Amino acid sequence: MAEHDNILEVRNLCQHFTTGRGRHRMTVKAVDDVSFDVRRAETFGLVGESGCGKTTTGRTIIRLYDPTSGTVHFGGREISGPMTAEKRRYLTDNIAMIFQDPIESLNPRMTIEEIVGEGLRMRGVKDKNELHRQVIEMLYKVGLTEEHATRYPHEFSGGQRQRVGIARAMIIRPQMIIADEPVSALDVSIQAQVINLLNDLKAEMGLTILFIAHNLSVVKYFSDRIGVMYYGKMMEVARSEDLYAKPLHPYTRALLSAIPEPNPITERHRKRIDYVPERDHDYSVEKPSMVEVEPDHFVYCSPSELREIRRQLG
Amino acid sequence: MIYEKNRPLPEELNNLSDELFAPTGSETASDEAFKTEPVGFYRDALNRLRKSKVSVASFWIIVVIILLALIVPEITGYSYTQQSVKGKNLPPKIPYLEKLGVCDGTQVLTNRKKSSLDDPKRFPEGSVVEILKEYDVNGVAVVDVRVDAYAYAGVPEGEYHWFGTDYLGRDLLTRLFRGARISLLIAFISVVTNVIIGVIYGSIAGYYGGKIDMFLTHFAEVLDGLPYIVVTILFMILFGSGMFSIILALTVTGWIGTARLTRAQFYRFKGREYVLAARTLGVPDRKLIFRHILPNTVGPLITRAMIAIPGAIFSESFLAYIGLGIKPPEPSIGTLLSVGQDVLLQYPTQTLFPAVLISVLMIAFNLFSNGLRDAMDPTRRGEDV
Amino acid sequence: MAVNPNETILSVEDLTISFKAYGGMVRAVRGVSFDLKRGETVAIVGESGSGKSVSIKSIMGILPANAVVEGGRVMYDGMDLTKVSEEEMHKIRGHRIGLVFQDPMSALNPIMKVGKQITEVLRHKKMDKAAADARALELMKAVGIPDAEKRFNQYPFQFSGGMRQRIVIAIALAGDPEILICDEPTTALDVTVQAKILDLINQIKEERNLSVIFITHDLGVVAHMADRVNVMYAGKIVETGTAEEIFFEPAHPYTWALLSSVPDLQTRERLASIPGTPPNMIFPPKGDAFAARNRYALKIDFEKEPPYFRLSDTHLAATWLLHPKAPKVEMPEILKERIKRMKEAMADG
Repeated sequence: MAEHDNILEVRNLCQHFTTGRGRHRMTVKAVDDVSFDVRRAETFGLVGESGCGKTTTGRTIIRLYDPTSGTVHFGGREISGPMTAEKRRYLTDNIAMIFQDPIESLNPRMTIEEIVGEGLRMRGVKDKNELHRQVIEMLYKVGLTEEHATRYPHEFSGGQRQRVGIARAMIIRPQMIIADEPVSALDVSIQAQVINLLNDLKAEMGLTILFIAHNLSVVKYFSDRIGVMYYGKMMEVARSEDLYAKPLHPYTRALLSAIPEPNPITERHRKRIDYVPERDHDYSVEKPSMVEVEPDHFVYCSPSELREIRRQLG
Repeated sequence: MIYEKNRPLPEELNNLSDELFAPTGSETASDEAFKTEPVGFYRDALNRLRKSKVSVASFWIIVVIILLALIVPEITGYSYTQQSVKGKNLPPKIPYLEKLGVCDGTQVLTNRKKSSLDDPKRFPEGSVVEILKEYDVNGVAVVDVRVDAYAYAGVPEGEYHWFGTDYLGRDLLTRLFRGARISLLIAFISVVTNVIIGVIYGSIAGYYGGKIDMFLTHFAEVLDGLPYIVVTILFMILFGSGMFSIILALTVTGWIGTARLTRAQFYRFKGREYVLAARTLGVPDRKLIFRHILPNTVGPLITRAMIAIPGAIFSESFLAYIGLGIKPPEPSIGTLLSVGQDVLLQYPTQTLFPAVLISVLMIAFNLFSNGLRDAMDPTRRGEDV
Repeated sequence: MAVNPNETILSVEDLTISFKAYGGMVRAVRGVSFDLKRGETVAIVGESGSGKSVSIKSIMGILPANAVVEGGRVMYDGMDLTKVSEEEMHKIRGHRIGLVFQDPMSALNPIMKVGKQITEVLRHKKMDKAAADARALELMKAVGIPDAEKRFNQYPFQFSGGMRQRIVIAIALAGDPEILICDEPTTALDVTVQAKILDLINQIKEERNLSVIFITHDLGVVAHMADRVNVMYAGKIVETGTAEEIFFEPAHPYTWALLSSVPDLQTRERLASIPGTPPNMIFPPKGDAFAARNRYALKIDFEKEPPYFRLSDTHLAATWLLHPKAPKVEMPEILKERIKRMKEAMADG
C-alpha cells in the first residue's frame, strides 16, 4: 500500500451507535473495522446496499460523526481523534461533501448565491463584489447562469439543485470530495449530466473523489477503484476492472449478478447468485481478515478461503 | 395516425416542404430560463395568505378591534373610572339606533304598584314608555311597565351610554375597550416573553441534544407539573394583583409549549442534509442555529404565537373570572365578564358585550393563525397562487 | 403456454388525462394507446412526470380527485374502465386486476397481521375462514416467505422491505387476478432484493399465465421483464416495440438518449446526457415535446407533432426522423458500440 500516493488513509475505522439505556441498550456496528486508502486524483467508489455503512463511513471521515475507534489520515495528517479548531479548519478546507437528496440538501430559505457563497464567507471573503464574482464563476462552471443566483432552491429541478450542491462543495477548492449518492435521487436522463459534470471538474481541478453509491454500474463507470461493503465491513477492494472481471468475494459476485443490464436477451436467462453468509463462510474456527490476494486486490477472507482463492487464481 | 415507413406516404405528409426537415438541434440545450420573478419565503407566504378570504377578513377584524381598543376609551367622553350614583346599571342607549327600538335605553320593570306610576318621585315625568300588563296581586293593582331607564334614574337628557353602565354607573363602552386594551397588552407581552424564552430554551435543548437536552426537558416537565392556579395565587401574594403578576403567571409555564416546539423543530432540521452540508463547510454552531435551523422554524413558531394570543386572552379572563384578575378599577375583558355575570339575569347586556368581543377576538385570531399556518406550510412552498 | 397467445385482454385507447392545478391544467397523459395480450409483460418506461403512473392509475380507477379523464377509454372485458361505477371497479380491483405499488409499507395496513390482510381479500370472495387461512398460507409460500406459518401472525413492521413487497404480491394474487399491474415495485429495494422480486414476478406470471403491466424508469429492469416496451415522454408514448426492437433497434431520439445516458458495466465513453429538463406540461410545447432537448431535432419538430411511423408489425416510433425527407441520422456512437458489444457477447456465449 505504501508505494502509492495516498491522500486518504482509513485504518480500522469503527463507528458504533448505541441506542436505549440500561437493559435496552443496543449497539449497532454501522462501520466495523474498515480500512482502505484513497489515492491522489483517483475516484474511489464505495458500494453496498442500504444499511451497509457506506454513508456512515463517508460522514465519519468528514467528522459529521465522531469515530468510535480507528484512525483517518488525510494528506499525512490525522483528522480523527479529538477535535481542535485548527484540525476542523484543515478538514473543512480540504474535504467537501455532496449529498444525496437534491431537495433536502439546500436550505430553502437561502438564495442560490447565499448557498454557494457560504463556504467563501466562512473563509473570510468579505468583499461583496469578489464574493459575487466567484459565485457566478462557479455557477457557470456547473452549467448554471448568473440569472440563477438570486433564486431560491424550490424553483429548480432536481438536476439543477444537485449542480448547486456541487458548486457549493467546489467553491472552497477542496482536494477531495465525498459524493454521497449524488445521482441516485435523479431521473436517468439527469444522472448523466451530473456524472459528466463531476468527471469534468475532476479532470479540471485534479480532484480526488470518494464516490458512495448503491448502483454498481454507475460506480463501475465512474471509479478507478472500488470498495464493496456489507453490514459494516469491507468485503473486497479492487481496481474496478478487476472487481468486475474477477470478483472474489461471494457477496461481490451476488451483487454483480443482481444488476439488471439493458440487454433483453441475456437478461431473460441470467442466473442470479445468492449470498448467504452462514452458508458461504464458516468463521467458527478461522477468523477472516483483509488480505491482498493480488496486487491491488483485497478480499476479506479466512485462511482456508484464501487458499481456495489462490488456487482459483492459479 | 400510423404511417407505414416503406410505403408511399399520404398527401399531407408528402407535401411537407423540404426546408422543414433542416436539423436545428444544438449540442447543448441550456436550462430553461425562468419566466417569473424570484420570490422569497415571506413574500410567497404573504401571497398565499392574501388568497385566503377568511384570513384576510380575520386580519382586518383583529386590526379593527385593536384600533377600537386604542381609540374608543379616549373619545367616549367618559373615563373608565368615572362613577355615577344615579346612572347605575343603565341599559344600552345609542343615538339613532334608539329610534328603531333597539338600544333605546328602556327596560321593563315588573310588579310595580299601579298607583306609584303617578308618583313623580318614583317615576319622573316621561319615564314611563308603555304599560305592558295590568293585574291584581292580593287585591292591589299591579303593573309591568317599560320605562326609559335614563329618565327613570334621573340621568340628564342627552346622556348616552352605548353599552350601558355597570353597578357603579361607569360607562361600559369605555370600560370594555379599555379592558380589551389591557387584555391584548397582557396577551402580547406574555406571548412575546414566552416565545423568546421558549425559543432560546428549545434551541439549546434541541441543538445540543444528549445530556443537556435531557436535563432541560426534565426541568421543563417538572415546571409544567406545578399547579398553575396555586402558582398564580403565590405571585398575587408576592407582587400584588397587578398586570405584572398576571403576565408572570401566564409566562411561568406558557413558554414550555414553545420550547417543546422549537426543540422538536431542531431535532427535525439539525440532521437535514443542508445543515450537514453547512457543517462540512466549517460553519460554526452559532451560525448553524441562527442561519440554517431557526429560519426554518419561523413558520410554525409564528403560527403558534398567533394561536397563543387568544389562549392568553382567555387565560387572563379565566383568572379574572375566578377573582385573580387585574386590580380594580382597571378593567379587563375577564373582570367585566365576571362582574356582569353577577347580574346576568337582570342586566344581560353587561355580560353580552364583553362575551361577544372576546368571542370575535378569539375566533379571528384562531382563523388568522390557521391561514398563516397554511400559508407558511413549507410543503406548499412555491405553489402557483 | 398461453390459451390464445394473441388474445388482447386489455386495451387502452387514446387515453387523455389532465390534472387541475394552480395555474392551469397539467396535461399528464396525451393520447396513450396500447394493448395488453394474455400472458405477456408490457413495460412502460419513462422518467418522473412522463405520465406513466397516471395512465396506470386510470386503469385501476384510483386517479386523484383533481384528475380529469378528458378522452379515450380503457377497454377490459367489454367495459370501459374509465366509466364504470366505483362499485363495479371495486369488484375488478383486487380480484381481476392485482396491483403492486412502489412502497410496500404504505400498501399494507400497519396494525393488521399480514395473514389477515391476505385472507381479507379471500373472505370477500365468500370463502370460509379455514379455507381462506389455508389459501393465504399457500400464497405466502408461493411468494417465497420462509416460515409462513409463523409469519402469518406477524405485523408488517416485522418484515424487511423485500419480504413486505412479497406480502403485497401475495395480496395482489389472493383475488386470483388475470392482470397484474406493477408500479415501480422494486425502486425502493436493494439490487439483490430487487433481483429476487423480479424473478418472483416472472415466476408467478409463468405459473398463472398472468398478463403484467410493469412501470419503471430502470431500463435494466425493463430488459429483464418485458416482452413489449412502451417508452413514454411528456404524456405520450414516443416509441413502442418488442424488447429486442427497443434495445437493439431503437428509432426515437429520446429512446437513444435514455439508453445512452445510463452506463452499463462495460461503458467507458463519456455518457451522452440529455440536456435541459422535461417541459412544463401546463404549457405543452408546440410540436414534439422532446424537440428542445433533442440534439437531432429538425425544424418541423418545433412546429408539428410527429405521427407514428411503422418500422415493423410491432415497432412504432413517433419522430420526424423517420420521414423520407428527413436527413439520415444514426443513433449515438456510444449506443451503437454498446449494441454491437451486446450482440457480440451473445454470439460468443
